[in-house]
Amino acid sequence: MSLNEKDLKKGLAEFKENKRKETLKYVFLSFIGIAIFLIVWKLIVDFKLLNVRNLPAPDSVLSTLITKVSSKNPDGNTLGANILASLQVSMSGFLLAVVIGIPLGLFMGWFTPIDKFVSPVFELLRPVPPIAWIPVVVVFVGIDLKAKATIIFLSVFVPCVINSYAGIKLTKRTLINVAKTFGAGNFETFIKVGIPSAMPMVFTGVRNALGGAWSTLVAAEMLAAKAGLGYMLQVGRNVGRADVVVAGMATIGVLGALMALILNLIEKRILKWKLDS
Amino acid sequence: MFSNATKRTTTQKIIYIILPILSLLLIVMAYAFVQRKLPMLLPDAAGLWNRFTKTFTNPIKNVNLIGHILASLRRVMIALAFAWSLGILFGVLIGWNRVFKALFGSIFELFRPIPPIAWIPIIIMWFGIGEFPKILIVFIGSFIPVVINTEDGIRLVEKEYIDVGRVFGANRTQLLMEFVVPTALPAIFAGIRTSVSSAWTVVLAAEMLGADHGVGALVTRGWNAGDMALVFVSIICIGIIGAILAYVLNKLEKVVSPWNN
Amino acid sequence: MEQLNGLVVENLSKTFYSSEGYFTAVEDVSFTLNDGEFLVILGPGRSGKTVLLNMIVGIEEKTGGRILYNGKEKTGIHPDFGMVFQSLSLMPFKTVMENVELPLKLRGVSKKERRKTAQHYIELVGLNGFEKSYPHELSGGMKQRVGIARAYTANPKVLIMDEPFGQLDAQTRYAMQNEILRIWEAERRTVIFVTNNIEEACYLGDRIILLSDCPAKVKAVYPIDLPRPRNMVAQEFLRIRTTISDNTDLAI
Repeated sequence: MSLNEKDLKKGLAEFKENKRKETLKYVFLSFIGIAIFLIVWKLIVDFKLLNVRNLPAPDSVLSTLITKVSSKNPDGNTLGANILASLQVSMSGFLLAVVIGIPLGLFMGWFTPIDKFVSPVFELLRPVPPIAWIPVVVVFVGIDLKAKATIIFLSVFVPCVINSYAGIKLTKRTLINVAKTFGAGNFETFIKVGIPSAMPMVFTGVRNALGGAWSTLVAAEMLAAKAGLGYMLQVGRNVGRADVVVAGMATIGVLGALMALILNLIEKRILKWKLDS
Repeated sequence: MFSNATKRTTTQKIIYIILPILSLLLIVMAYAFVQRKLPMLLPDAAGLWNRFTKTFTNPIKNVNLIGHILASLRRVMIALAFAWSLGILFGVLIGWNRVFKALFGSIFELFRPIPPIAWIPIIIMWFGIGEFPKILIVFIGSFIPVVINTEDGIRLVEKEYIDVGRVFGANRTQLLMEFVVPTALPAIFAGIRTSVSSAWTVVLAAEMLGADHGVGALVTRGWNAGDMALVFVSIICIGIIGAILAYVLNKLEKVVSPWNN
Repeated sequence: MEQLNGLVVENLSKTFYSSEGYFTAVEDVSFTLNDGEFLVILGPGRSGKTVLLNMIVGIEEKTGGRILYNGKEKTGIHPDFGMVFQSLSLMPFKTVMENVELPLKLRGVSKKERRKTAQHYIELVGLNGFEKSYPHELSGGMKQRVGIARAYTANPKVLIMDEPFGQLDAQTRYAMQNEILRIWEAERRTVIFVTNNIEEACYLGDRIILLSDCPAKVKAVYPIDLPRPRNMVAQEFLRIRTTISDNTDLAI
């Protein structure tokens, strides 16, 4: 009655087949869910089931999206130009904040004097949502790329610093002691032990910041801009083109999801490299 | 040797007390310096104070500063009440039931990457600029983090807790209500925490884009009227309330889940 | 000849499948559990002992063999079986009393009645005065006592204990071993006790089933006829201990 290899191989094949069927079933159900959503949406619009004006049907949103690739109506920019403008603003603010914020947070977490000197500024900045700074920034800097990048910077900077700070504070005491026992100085321990062990938290911060940056960008472009996806939403609203607004939202959503995906891939690469070394 | 070490820590302590004070002083000095150069753009301390008292003696849109703050908080509270109850319910369902997750989670995933602020224009087009559309926008902004965290919390409950329930004969409803949901509470609470800060940001954005009352409306009003003192008074209020909300949540979390340190 | 009473485990096997391949954790394990017996299953570190227990209690599907209970094939959970878990298993949001009364609550027993039963077992394991404490306020040994009381409250005929003392320090462990014998003698239930500690196995068991390292197979069975309380440094005790130890591929 002992187990033989043939039975086990058969069991394995059965298991794989079941698993494949199961995955297929859930993928299918997901498509059903989305299909139901689109159909209900379409029916609501066509039969005016909701007492709401300006409700565009899913197919009209899609056709607007396609024409918007080449058309400059109604906001004076093609979809591509708007995407480019938004990406340029958000990326410049985002990258600057990441490059400055992470090292600052790491230093603050490791070296107490820096912490004591810098953290009061943070405790003042932290509770204010970045969009509240928009008027101040606009008054000082204007409504060009630099201004919006400054606002994005503010929204990314704070979570980057806070998470890097928290991450390096969580470095295990034993790891630090091991490094120091082997003769590493404080700075070397910081580089070789502190920073690597803070990386997962740092990435959490960057991921949160990315979502925040994208959201803040939309707000900034709605309040003060001449191009960009947020501006497109705002113009669409002003001229009563709900299809343009929804098309803009869809673009914002897709780009946001894409950026999160890219960040995930980068994270996997970097953290894997960390594990390998 | 011993006295030397103590002495060093005493100097250290003094430095650690001086540094934050020094830092705050530098901020105040920098502000004062810029303020002298650009008095039109930045109010001084007296200007801020006068603007602050003026919000009471000369109310904006018939409502004083406290009234505007309460208007914002009211929208946040109503939206949060709905977002928490519906968000936890939905999160539990998609975290617990895979069919439900495939059917409705996929629709949720369509909406999830759209920042709540991007909903503002379309919701204004649909429902105007009354109370309901603002509450709806805040609801969207706070519903999403509650659902995400609740789902994760439910899905990641340690198998051993579920095994305990099964061994002692719990049926599926009992497993969920007695074992899974309570174990997921810390994660659900993390969602609630995120939802509050998100709600506070979104209500400001909604009010800045079109409202008569609320602190966000005050910011826009000050901005449009070139009344920077009002803008700064509003920002300070926003910051203080943001800090109070974070503090209250921290305290609340300790009460709700004392075992979670 | 099939036995009509008690628990019979026949050729029990468990193979885990994944997309990478398969892995057999338990292979062809058979034994019979006598009524009122304190049976110890002894096996090295991660030899699939927990998987074996989980199959017996019914929270893990078996891939081969069968389990007979009172002459009928047992599948899934059975109210006659209770379990003390390795660790982690107390609900952190429930007090000691709420944890202990939980099995009865799940069965819909009235609050007054389940409190009475729970109180009895809380006292039996020596935790009176801690009814309102939360698990995080208790020491490791006390937490395990709560787990034991909870298992007893369910009123099982067969009590299964999965390395309940694995996380305890040596002192507490010795104390808990005596505790568990005291409770067993007071309540006289059939016990299956799993451990990786030879000394603990010899000290507690009426019979020891020695498992091999992964996959878990029955390597040998040792009846222990020593009277209780046993003396861990007595000649006879040490002789049995050495015999078992020589036959073990313990990698701990």
